[in-house]
Amino acid sequence: MAVSRRAVNYAVALALLALALLLGIAHGPTPIPLGTVVRRLLAPNRSIDSVIIWEIRFPMVAAAAVVGGGLAVAGAVMQALLKNPLADPYIVGASAGAGLGATLAQDLVPALNAMAPGAFVGALAAVCLSYLLSRGRGTVSMLTLILAGYAVGVILTAVTTFLMLFNQQDLSAIFAWELGGIDGATWSQVLVSAVLIAAGLAVVWPFAHDMNALLLGEEEAHHLGVNVQRVQFVLLFAASLMTAAAVYLSGLVGFVGLVMPHIARRLNGPNHRHLLPLTFCLGAAFLTFAQIVAESVPVIGPIPVGLVTACLGGPYFLSLLIRQSHRAGGWP
Amino acid sequence: MRESAMVQLHDVIYRWPEANAAVGPLSVSLPAGQLVGVIGPNGAGKSTLLKLLAGFLRPHQGQVVVGGKDISTLNGQSRARLVAFVPQTLETTFDLTVEEVVQLGSLHRYTWRDRLAVRPAVDQDRLAAVLESTGLTPLRQRPFPKLSGGEAKRVLLAAALLQDTPVLLLDEPTAHLDPGHAVGFLHLLQELVAREEKTVIMAYHDLASVGLFAHRLWVMHRGRLVAQGDAQSILSSPIIADVYQVSLVYLAHPQNHKPLLIFP
Repeated sequence: MAVSRRAVNYAVALALLALALLLGIAHGPTPIPLGTVVRRLLAPNRSIDSVIIWEIRFPMVAAAAVVGGGLAVAGAVMQALLKNPLADPYIVGASAGAGLGATLAQDLVPALNAMAPGAFVGALAAVCLSYLLSRGRGTVSMLTLILAGYAVGVILTAVTTFLMLFNQQDLSAIFAWELGGIDGATWSQVLVSAVLIAAGLAVVWPFAHDMNALLLGEEEAHHLGVNVQRVQFVLLFAASLMTAAAVYLSGLVGFVGLVMPHIARRLNGPNHRHLLPLTFCLGAAFLTFAQIVAESVPVIGPIPVGLVTACLGGPYFLSLLIRQSHRAGGWP
Repeated sequence: MRESAMVQLHDVIYRWPEANAAVGPLSVSLPAGQLVGVIGPNGAGKSTLLKLLAGFLRPHQGQVVVGGKDISTLNGQSRARLVAFVPQTLETTFDLTVEEVVQLGSLHRYTWRDRLAVRPAVDQDRLAAVLESTGLTPLRQRPFPKLSGGEAKRVLLAAALLQDTPVLLLDEPTAHLDPGHAVGFLHLLQELVAREEKTVIMAYHDLASVGLFAHRLWVMHRGRLVAQGDAQSILSSPIIADVYQVSLVYLAHPQNHKPLLIFP
């Protein structure tokens, strides 16, 4: 693929991201003109606009971008690891673990209001559990990992449901959280999440070529010199860290991690060196736009951003599948 | 045991999990600069032997030594510097281009700098030479999953050649290839052995042509190495007919008088 075409893709994705950020900041119950947004971003002052921008809207928009980018890259990594284009960041039990973690936190120490940290810990713990369960004779088969992740997910979800039945007063809080939402994110929360996701990205980036090799299967990757078991562990850990960090900030936002790597792959090809940066930009831009849409639903008012991503991502994914079945061949 | 042996197996035993089958004990020693054909009926353990040599399967007993080093103690990079492997077939649904797949042959040489850079420092001349020698230059930008079986095979060989290892293992290298490309492929291997003293070990099916290309033959039967020696003497030995359970016609090549075996 021509280098120039990739450069154009990057430029467009970055422009979209910048536009999404600006529109996200400008948009809200009190609209602020774009010109003012740019001016106050460059030179904050004590005006009410500046406070709204810096204290309320910018952290929320930044949260959307960080979560979208992190989930999208985590999805791309999981797809390479499992050699399966239908994998998403939650596939090995992270979502169920996050749900249980949030519910436990809410039930045991409601005063702390610790759903987000609970979810973070739960997501990571569930992935670790799936990983340990799928270990056999010193090696982990990725197929077993998917199955173990599914089983762990089913069990943890059952426990969560059980707990929710016993503590019905928490139902709405947990339910709202599970739908995914970024409202009310603060700078300190965004910072925690951003640092963790940046760490995940830094871990993943040097392994881009190993991920390319893994697309050819574990055996071929082995022959090409990839330390398959170690690389898989590192990548799984990094993807789960990014997923958990995203969940910490936003609850369970679906479809970003599944669909964005697909779109990026169609544009830049499956070579992870070129796929990962574009995936991040697209994921960040997409979730920021989705957040704007979520805030401005007529009549009903704001809805959780997870609903918007599902409404946009679901049909897109279906159309991909349908087009795919008409044109026999590889995944985009 | 000769000091100069490139590939050695010491009493290697591998048991397939959940199958009542084992390969070995295998003991063999091979100097550098040989082209070995591994023959034997289906399920005799040819592929298993190659995967043991590549360090992909770990023996339950014994040692696989390549280039003086126990292959199971090496990390991925050092292993891929010693041994390259061309599989029989490879399925992927991801549209990596031919060039991107071939370039993975230099993955084991990447430094941290290459791993962090947007573009790793690939030896473009070498890449071009490898693509040229495998006839892939015109297919450079084609998506790998869209290639025919024979083209895909040449891509896998090209990646293995780019690895530039002293030992090259091939599982049925000419399966899926038309006669023209098959002969080209085998000549390329012969040249690598003659010019660069590489050690080539290939599982091979065609008894009619194996004697034309291989210096030595290893005969596998029910997980054991039942015979080994120079191609000429192995092919003219009665053990072949016994192992394959068929009667064979023994011919000689009209020009070079190398043995040709055909089924009646």
